[in-house]
Amino acid sequence: MHAARHGPVADGVLSPREGTRARGVSRGVGALRLKRGALAALAVFVFASPRVQAESDLPRDAVLVPAGSYAPLIREKDEPERVAVPAFWLDVRPVTNAEFLAFVRANPAWRRSTVSPLFADRGYLGDWAEDLELGPRAPAAAPVVRVSWFAARAFARAQGKRLPTTAEWERAAAAGFSSAVGASEPGFAAQVLAWFTRPTVLPLPHAGAGRPNFFGVRDLFGLVWEWVDDFNTAMVTGESRADTGLERSLFCGAGAAGVRNPSDYAAFMRAGYRSSLRANYAVPNLGFRCAQSP
Amino acid sequence: MKTTVTILALLFAATGFAAAPAVPACCAVEEKPGAPLSARSIYQLDTPWTNDTGAAVRLAALRGRPVVLALFFAQCEYACPILVRDMQRLRAALPADQRERVQFVLVSFDTARDTPAALKVYRERMVLDAGWTLLRGETTAVQELAMLLGVKFKQDARGQFSHSNLFTILNREGEVVHQQLGLQSDGSDSVTALGRLMP
Repeated sequence: MHAARHGPVADGVLSPREGTRARGVSRGVGALRLKRGALAALAVFVFASPRVQAESDLPRDAVLVPAGSYAPLIREKDEPERVAVPAFWLDVRPVTNAEFLAFVRANPAWRRSTVSPLFADRGYLGDWAEDLELGPRAPAAAPVVRVSWFAARAFARAQGKRLPTTAEWERAAAAGFSSAVGASEPGFAAQVLAWFTRPTVLPLPHAGAGRPNFFGVRDLFGLVWEWVDDFNTAMVTGESRADTGLERSLFCGAGAAGVRNPSDYAAFMRAGYRSSLRANYAVPNLGFRCAQSP
Repeated sequence: MKTTVTILALLFAATGFAAAPAVPACCAVEEKPGAPLSARSIYQLDTPWTNDTGAAVRLAALRGRPVVLALFFAQCEYACPILVRDMQRLRAALPADQRERVQFVLVSFDTARDTPAALKVYRERMVLDAGWTLLRGETTAVQELAMLLGVKFKQDARGQFSHSNLFTILNREGEVVHQQLGLQSDGSDSVTALGRLMP
């Protein structure tokens, strides 16, 4: 029942080292750095194995998510409870390091050493060893993280695709494993929430290894957070104490907004997370996947 | 003949920054027009915009003078008129010799309704002189500019936009030097920020 098609085959082969400035791991807390050191040793082993190379050569499939609807977490006065979402193609898994490397190689303006700080902050591709070398902390088949919204968008555009909207992403993520309504599946919400309690394992596991949901989409939970095209529509300030009500003087029209379902904790987490982002942020566990209109 | 030239010059000036702004000899812009933009210049956004005369413009045309820029939409019933009034108050609070050097720019969220003609009506309604530039652009361009400035916005079912209320001060290179967040603050920080950008 699900249509599938193939995206461009990823360039999974690593290039020889190209001279650029190396970056330290100075960001992040000390404990994390120690853990990373141990994991890096393991990663070198995993990364060197031919199996990883083979997996990163897998085509990046997309599935057609049929037309449906989405219930926004925060709804304006007079807005319907559910918003129609037309059918769209969504990548089965997040974009990998190998795929992003191919993009960066073809688009020098998006290399770590040349990108404008307006479009990507200092953490941009911070897990990579060099401008054009992934290294042990960024396995080829793992999802690319520490990419800004601008960079993710440029990648998507280069593939003739785009980033999913909040409505599209949430529409896909509302599906369970066996039905279109995850909330009706026993234990589904608990599984989603369980991810929030687990610390991120570094280096990240392969993208696409997660269990496919009802639409055939994988890794919407449990691997990385993902950019959406309109993440800046989440109207809350960065100041948690100010968020009990939306600040009228900061947001025009904010007085009309009200929350749909306070018990949907995961949706709250995502809305809060999105509202804390800026478009040039490059965050350690934030990646993206592409979408396309049919 | 001389009158014709003067009239032409005035016409050009009236179309906004499409023509080179008249800068006194003392304050001529030092950088060459072709010099590469700084890494923090928002003028790196090379998307096309249209002003209220229908002329195509790029943000980089603002280069060379301090800019006060806000996103808004003409049919806003709530905060935008206050935001624009705040900008007008800021302009009035500037010393006379600085006032003419600063360009005030309003960029619309409302890609559907804010046509050049609608912006022209808005200019007349709000009594905005040549020191103000009114721009519209495609959705992608507006979204990218909003992202660069940290402006959040969302269109509701009625076509109104919820949005951050802030304006941004850019230096001559198009780098963000100050943002005034919220409505009806006294604006003295913005006056100071603009003062620092003066030669």
